[in-house]
Amino acid sequence: MPKKNQVTIKIISFLALTDVLETIIQFCFKKSAISVDFLEINGLASAGAFVWAIIHSPFLWIALFSAFCLFVIWSTLLSKIDLSVAVPVASFSYIAVPLVSAIFLGEKVSLLRWSGIGFILMGVVLVSISTKYKAAAV
Amino acid sequence: MKMNILLVIGLIAITDLLDTISQLILKSEINRTGSDIHSIKNALALIVRLYKNARVWASFTLAGISLVFWLFVLSKTDLSMAFSIDSMRYVMIAAASIIFLKERFGSTRWLGIASVVLGIVLVTLG
Repeated sequence: MPKKNQVTIKIISFLALTDVLETIIQFCFKKSAISVDFLEINGLASAGAFVWAIIHSPFLWIALFSAFCLFVIWSTLLSKIDLSVAVPVASFSYIAVPLVSAIFLGEKVSLLRWSGIGFILMGVVLVSISTKYKAAAV
Repeated sequence: MKMNILLVIGLIAITDLLDTISQLILKSEINRTGSDIHSIKNALALIVRLYKNARVWASFTLAGISLVFWLFVLSKTDLSMAFSIDSMRYVMIAAASIIFLKERFGSTRWLGIASVVLGIVLVTLG
């Protein structure tokens, strides 16, 4: 049995897959949301109408199915490697999602926004690395 | 239809807050129930126990409401911006850990949280 935190090619592939799935999920959520963007929510009734409209979008169901797959893969990965190893790799979706938004959804991502994304990525990595030190101290 | 940026941040904050509470409930229930999984039979027993747990359902309900807020935000704003702002969940979980779990943070973690906040500000301005 491989020891904990041994990062094999297989584990790297699954970690990459979590980035891909997260990007697919967010892309499909956005696609399903676009289909109902004419609605305004200003009460429970309109919130109900929003939900009713959006559950008819196949994109929502693709996203939810992908989220379920992501949950299963992520839970399995965390039994093999530490969170502090998994999160930095998985947070590449902070780059992948805006990239997909720019390419496939025609969104404009400015240089300032990319630099902000860079800081977020660095922050997420630092926070997850600090978990390791904490666990070591306990 | 574009929304006011402060409203966007507020709605994403609600999404992340509901998600954080949902995760905290789930985590505490799994801690209480025990999660030693040795076999598939064992895993199924754990799922059945959680399935019968009212707090687990409360957690799922919050996650569902959080999703509705998220979809509403996405229907009004760019995905590239919303997804970046969504990283404020790291800041919220940190705050919850300090307030409710009395955790103490080292300098690496503070630096990371500051970096996330700075990043969100830049993304919002961009």
